[in-house]
Amino acid sequence: MDIKLVNPFIESVATIMPQMGFQKITRGKMGMGQRSLKSLGVTALVGFSNSICGNVAYNMTNMTACHIASTMMMGMPIMQLDEMAESAISELANMLSANVATKLSSKQHPVDISTPSLTVGEDFFVDISEDQYLIIEMNIDGTILEVNIKIA
Amino acid sequence: MKEVSVLIVDDSRISYTMLKNILAKTNFKVCDYARNSNEAVEKYQQHKPDLITMDMNLPGQNGIETSRRILEINPQAKILMISAMKDAQLMTQGREVGISSFLQKPVVPYEFIDTLLLLYQNEFNTGDLLIESYIHPLLKIFQNEIMQLYGIESKMSFHENIEKENTITGTAVIIGLTGNPTGRVVLYAADTVMIALAHLMLHIEPDEKLNDEDAREAFAEAGNIIVGNYVSQIDDTLKDKDMRISPPGMIRGHKMKIVNLKMRSFIIVAVTDIGELALSISFAGGKE
Repeated sequence: MDIKLVNPFIESVATIMPQMGFQKITRGKMGMGQRSLKSLGVTALVGFSNSICGNVAYNMTNMTACHIASTMMMGMPIMQLDEMAESAISELANMLSANVATKLSSKQHPVDISTPSLTVGEDFFVDISEDQYLIIEMNIDGTILEVNIKIA
Repeated sequence: MKEVSVLIVDDSRISYTMLKNILAKTNFKVCDYARNSNEAVEKYQQHKPDLITMDMNLPGQNGIETSRRILEINPQAKILMISAMKDAQLMTQGREVGISSFLQKPVVPYEFIDTLLLLYQNEFNTGDLLIESYIHPLLKIFQNEIMQLYGIESKMSFHENIEKENTITGTAVIIGLTGNPTGRVVLYAADTVMIALAHLMLHIEPDEKLNDEDAREAFAEAGNIIVGNYVSQIDDTLKDKDMRISPPGMIRGHKMKIVNLKMRSFIIVAVTDIGELALSISFAGGKE
């Protein structure tokens, strides 16, 4: 995968998360995955089309999702993934992807994004590629947001 | 199904005869025939039919005006507009007065019957252009593609999903809709059904082993074909739309909950001899 297409995903997390009240955003491990990824519990899938096609899956645990939703809502305590928290995570996936789309479009790669498909479950797999895809771990105030990317 | 009465409003005796003949062997019974607006209103009040087919071009007041008069008498009246022209403007005008179903002449028999059936069966037919424009075409393509891809018949039904989530066990192909409108389509089935369908699609004997990855790839490809055809047809029919699709993603597992927040969502179920296959379509900007 072209690194120029990947950087916007890292930049968008680094740009958007502090705007929502997160303090420390660092890039963690990067690697390649083969075909299937195991959901950590909460996965938002966003489709890309136009000059670049593919999918990105934002993957996190329930606890991370609650922590992110709570921070997005100005510290409101969220103990379980309720409707409001799901809405927040869905909105986060949308904002991150829209930011990526804007960055790619400014680099002569016009991109459209689909509405995020947020899936929650205890034991499920997500396939975004028939072969390899890229995994980027983003560390957000000590919790991990896994960004899985397959675009071309 | 009980007998359903239909009033045909058309100034052409030929059109009337054609429509009547299509319905001859069905449970739809033509109760009467009206050739102009006044006759239509009069006969509507006389028979109180379950359904009305309305020609657009009538002498004097046209089909839209006539529908308006009937809907004033009964706002729940179920009217199918039939016209030689089927353009966005006509559909908008029709929608404004409360018509939700439209067909273009010449009427194809199975389309006519399907449309009447859907109009009769579903409860939310009061001026819903979304269903007429986006759900009915998907239902027809889904049914056709099941026949094309797998060579099997299916019995279709659809309903609006008013739940905030859709819980799925098995495999689901998720295809994003981008452009206008945005949303997603999810094709899903139990794993046993998906594997049986893959055998049919790949022309493999039922007792022959098929690896899971191949079965899933076949399912993803089926989703891609169904949604690709659907979007092409929408773009072709509704000229002001520019819908595109993202490549298929897939989720699989037990009791996965796909959340439907701020989306209007419909589920189409195809019952086949092999099992149930479902398609959900959701558009952004629906219920909060």
